[in-house]
Amino acid sequence: MSLLPDRLLSYSVAGTVVVPHFLGEHDHPWLRTLLEEHERFIGRPQRELDGRLREPLPCASPPRKLRLANQVLMRLRRGHRNATVVPPRRARALVFVQAARSPAPALTVLSTVAASLGVTAGDLQGSLFADLPGERLVGASAQPLSAVELALRTNLALVQALLFHAIAVRIDVEGNARVLVRHAKLRGLICTIADRNGRCGSSLEISGPFVLFRNTRLYGRALGELVPLLAWCPHFRLQANCVFGGRHLTLELGTGDPIFPAGAPREYDSRIEERFAREFRRLAPDWDVVREPEPIAADGTLIFPDFAIQHRSNPARRWLLEIVGFWTPDYVARKLAQYKSARLSNLILCIDKSRNCAAADLPPEALVIRFRRRVDAAAVLRIVG
Amino acid sequence: MKLQFDRGTILLTDPPENLNLAEAPGVLWDPRVRAYRAPASRYPDLRRWLFEGSVRFEDLTPPPRSMQDAWSDVDLRPYQEAALSAWELADRRGVVALPTGSGKTRLALAAMQRTRLSALCLVPTRVLLDQWSREISAVYRGTVGRYGDGVRQLTPLTVATFESAYRHMDQLGARFDLLIVDEVHHFGGGLRDEALEMGIAAARLGLTATPPRAPGAVARLADLVGPTVFELAVADLAGGFLASFDAITLYLDLSPEEHSAYASLSAVFNVAYREFRHAAPAASWADFTQHSGRTPAGRRALAAWRQMRRLLAFTHSKRRALRSLLERHQYSRVLIFTADNKTAYAIARDHLVMPLTCDIGRQERDQVLDRFRHGDLRTLVSARVLNEGLDVPDADVAVVVGGALGEREHVQRVGRLLRPSEGKRAVVYELVTRNTIEVGQARRRRLVLVARPSAQL
Repeated sequence: MSLLPDRLLSYSVAGTVVVPHFLGEHDHPWLRTLLEEHERFIGRPQRELDGRLREPLPCASPPRKLRLANQVLMRLRRGHRNATVVPPRRARALVFVQAARSPAPALTVLSTVAASLGVTAGDLQGSLFADLPGERLVGASAQPLSAVELALRTNLALVQALLFHAIAVRIDVEGNARVLVRHAKLRGLICTIADRNGRCGSSLEISGPFVLFRNTRLYGRALGELVPLLAWCPHFRLQANCVFGGRHLTLELGTGDPIFPAGAPREYDSRIEERFAREFRRLAPDWDVVREPEPIAADGTLIFPDFAIQHRSNPARRWLLEIVGFWTPDYVARKLAQYKSARLSNLILCIDKSRNCAAADLPPEALVIRFRRRVDAAAVLRIVG
Repeated sequence: MKLQFDRGTILLTDPPENLNLAEAPGVLWDPRVRAYRAPASRYPDLRRWLFEGSVRFEDLTPPPRSMQDAWSDVDLRPYQEAALSAWELADRRGVVALPTGSGKTRLALAAMQRTRLSALCLVPTRVLLDQWSREISAVYRGTVGRYGDGVRQLTPLTVATFESAYRHMDQLGARFDLLIVDEVHHFGGGLRDEALEMGIAAARLGLTATPPRAPGAVARLADLVGPTVFELAVADLAGGFLASFDAITLYLDLSPEEHSAYASLSAVFNVAYREFRHAAPAASWADFTQHSGRTPAGRRALAAWRQMRRLLAFTHSKRRALRSLLERHQYSRVLIFTADNKTAYAIARDHLVMPLTCDIGRQERDQVLDRFRHGDLRTLVSARVLNEGLDVPDADVAVVVGGALGEREHVQRVGRLLRPSEGKRAVVYELVTRNTIEVGQARRRRLVLVARPSAQL
């Protein structure tokens, strides 16, 4: 969905902090009325609904928030073309060319063309611009939409449009950081890890290459796309450095902010990982298997081990486990080089036998298990136990 | 040391220990990746700096690509030849300012054909994307790439919209050695300038009919593309390479109802505006709109301003005057320019003339222009689509019913009429409502037309 224009955004500025005016429970009554109004106009031209919404709703509704929610709703319910007697493009081609040929008044021209098509002049006139945006018929949404969902979707659109002004973001996150980093890299952003002073979780600093030279909005859209992914992080705090009209402001988001989440991310990258986690949990009930633990900084980049295995009563007994599956040779080489530079003493590397990795390529500190199709959970337990 | 293109920048890795890269042009230390980095546009300077310092480096940016074949000859008029020579003499960097209709695209084609460099042409709109692709294809037998309007096709000679270039220059920036920027006056103000900063092309040609005059924008554009190397005004070519024209302003009145509504709205607006001007005499209109958005009174003033403009867009008098002008010029090719699409459609319905707006699809738009070219359509009405760059053939009358974008827009609109033909004398009518904001706007528009600087040959 394209970003909302600035004039629709509902927010205030407190000192140097941008405060988005989120839609909450108190907005649900008028959102329900708005949804009902849209329902009422399904199948009618958009301009009629626009005209209706220029008048106040029967219940109190903050005008700015109303405009915002209405815009989001219209984008969710794409209208469709009005059925016309004459296809509009054909009507235009015939009518305007005839008008250029004939000095007759407009009505006579319309009647002449209408007669040649066997339709009435009124039908022809009605067809002329029936494909314009205002003439499109209001459509129904594919899924029923509740006031709660509309509020959440509006809040997401609001935050993403505000983040369009962002230069860089810092995200303190516990869990699911890999999804954020993967998305950031996919969108050409640079992601670095900041010091957390001993606190658990990760602090990611995300910005684009060109930010080094100036406060560019080039990456605002990509930064905004991180927001729906945050809902799947058990705890997070986002601080965005934004520029509004030349003024540096901060936008803050945190766990519990009412924002529409992205679809649930896949828990495992492969069946091998999924099977290993299942079998290890069954085999070693005293151990926790943590999927995607905190990232590790290595050689200017971040490594995300697949699992952390931690003894429940003695957290000091903690191992990181990476499954090196069916990857390209380049990727394997890069990955192993990263692990080598990280010099981890508690690393278990499970390597697909078909990768033919030489011992010299492997981090000397790592404990290595070679596997074919399935990682042997018992072999891992022998190492850690 | 290695130089490589990295998402719109040049990354410098493994420098020799005795080299202080902080002194290199445009280079900064990037702590995020622990390497030095420069904007891609500084690539030619950077190479020169390294060569001059006898620094050995491995250049991992793609080597220059040339296009040796597939070009037909591109003939130029004398002033176009002069402009191209001026650009060549300025080390293939600079802006050429020529009036609308004087063949700027032709000049760009000649630059591409003669340099044989891989070229990226940036254009402001999707309409111009089509037009440039067509014009290049007429003299170049290879495939012309396109970036924009939902298409991403990359070839050594590609046309892209500003918006697509802005979004994708991190991937496109290393693939072209010549950057041609149509309507280059859109750059230099900070908005989307990154599209020009993220490319390595050393050769850059900017084209415009209305070069910026503000010192800041001029300097910035000189940095991004190069200085203005050649400039001609309408007056330099009118009557020869451009058609002569008459400009006629028709002063019209508001109806009593319109006058009353306008007076109420302007009272609301004037109070807030005068107050603001008193407090900040040097502030700009943009400052005013930004300031007004923060208070209820300011927002009311802005709303009143918008309503005033809507009211003036198509008054009763303008309706009558337009009817009379269309009758008088019923056998001419007429372009009607409006302030907004709503007025364009109202005129289209009233007079059964074809509207050319952003809502009309590409295929239909091409057909419409074709019909206009062959005389099957005699009149077109448009708010913005006809403003800039679009090659509109042989119009000889323009009626400016309203405008929203000021002096630059007016110069572009008048330019639509200046394509020369045997014995042609074009006429531009401006419909201006007395005792309203339109009077001042019309005066400023005319001043820009007559006060263009003379030729710099």
